[in-house]
Amino acid sequence: MPDAGDSTVADDSDEALIGRYARGDAAAFELLYRRHEMRVWRYLQRNLRDAATADELMQEVWFAVARDASRYLPSARFTTWLFSIAHNRMIDSIRARRRHMNLESLERGSDEVTRQLTADPSASPIAAAIARDEAAALIRAVEELPREQREAFLLLVEGDLDIEEIARITGSSFETTKSRLRYARTKLRQTLKEFA
Amino acid sequence: MSEDLDEIYRRASALDPSRPSEAMRRRVLEHAAALAARPRPAANRARWRPAIFGTLAAAALAGLLVIPRVFNPHPPAESADTAAPAKAPPVVAPPPLAGASPFASPPPLAGASPFASPPPLGSPPPLAGVSPFAGAPPLADAPSMNAAPAPPPISPPQAAARSRAVAPTDASRKADSRVDALAQSGAAAENPIASAQLSSPPTDPSAALRRAAETGDIQKLRVILGAEVRIDAPDARGRTALMLAAAGGQDESVDVLLAHGADPNAADANGTTPLKAALAADRPAIAAALRRAGAR
Repeated sequence: MPDAGDSTVADDSDEALIGRYARGDAAAFELLYRRHEMRVWRYLQRNLRDAATADELMQEVWFAVARDASRYLPSARFTTWLFSIAHNRMIDSIRARRRHMNLESLERGSDEVTRQLTADPSASPIAAAIARDEAAALIRAVEELPREQREAFLLLVEGDLDIEEIARITGSSFETTKSRLRYARTKLRQTLKEFA
Repeated sequence: MSEDLDEIYRRASALDPSRPSEAMRRRVLEHAAALAARPRPAANRARWRPAIFGTLAAAALAGLLVIPRVFNPHPPAESADTAAPAKAPPVVAPPPLAGASPFASPPPLAGASPFASPPPLGSPPPLAGVSPFAGAPPLADAPSMNAAPAPPPISPPQAAARSRAVAPTDASRKADSRVDALAQSGAAAENPIASAQLSSPPTDPSAALRRAAETGDIQKLRVILGAEVRIDAPDARGRTALMLAAAGGQDESVDVLLAHGADPNAADANGTTPLKAALAADRPAIAAALRRAGAR
């Protein structure tokens, strides 16, 4: 049970929330989940290009967060820990299904995202600034990046992690990670230029 | 320019209408609520009680083994093999002895306690209480240890255990003494090593070892291990190569290091062991490998 006077506040830091959850405050977990739900989801879905698998892994990731909340070391940012778990689950999943995966299914997944994107009925003000085709092409270009580049880029933009954290999570050196991000951005910029 | 692209991607990404399923969200939140309802803090407190008694018992056992040797003015004659480390310069000899033999001194004993797992987030005091040496600097870098007299004579079984765990060669002692000399120079020797870890190739063999282990560069790791290096040499934060490999999810590095006799219970300056790091990084396979190697 939460401590007396220990109320969960929406602007609590992630680290404070996971601490509250470790002490039995379920509301803190829900807040944490909702705060990061879409970031983790997009990270998994863009990497895997398969919504069903992303859903499965999403559940595994958050189950792991709930189970290991008391083992979380406050010396690391919560998001670094969270995306470490997501990365490891994803790599395990990719290894497990590698032999069952083929390019056709990947292509289908990519087409699905593009179709959904271009059919998005909830055009926000942002959508006015970005042509829908351009957005779809950019998402597709991200999905078509080589795996290491794609993952580094998604950890940066969805996980909001810095290069050092990405290097640690992916088990790469700082320079390698920086190169992957540079190559990824060059390719994505090229995609945008084609729409200019 | 890079930020522009990242921002454009984020905007484009926000247009993607796909969402995780509601059923999955419900399962996650229900599972988390069920776990939260369990009396975990009490269970954790209960776990610390045997940890304290276990640590005290181990310390008492260490005392029983060491005290008779301290008070015996005429220790039994030793073989040339066991006598040699005692005659070695104190700068080099004490750290491997303390790191390899849990009975050599209380601090590593407490650090290597089988119960020295991190406390729940909400109860930091037990950590300080049970592992009072967690914040101490690594032994290899501690000036007081460098200045200590030669350790008490050790028995052949202890010497054999030490050589199995650390296997320091003359060459590796030289490498260690170079690192120790840097530490003693007052020039913040660890900082260049630590800062070089991510920005440029490390120049000292221990740092190169840690770097190769952390990045999973197995080929380089094997080359370094084949040369002169102390496998459990810690960095500025007390992290060994095995710790970094475990935290980084480098299964193969962990296997190679364990095969070369890395200490699976070497804790960093915060008292975190490789096993804890592997569990925190959600790497059950690595945790299992560490446990098989004796990690607690």
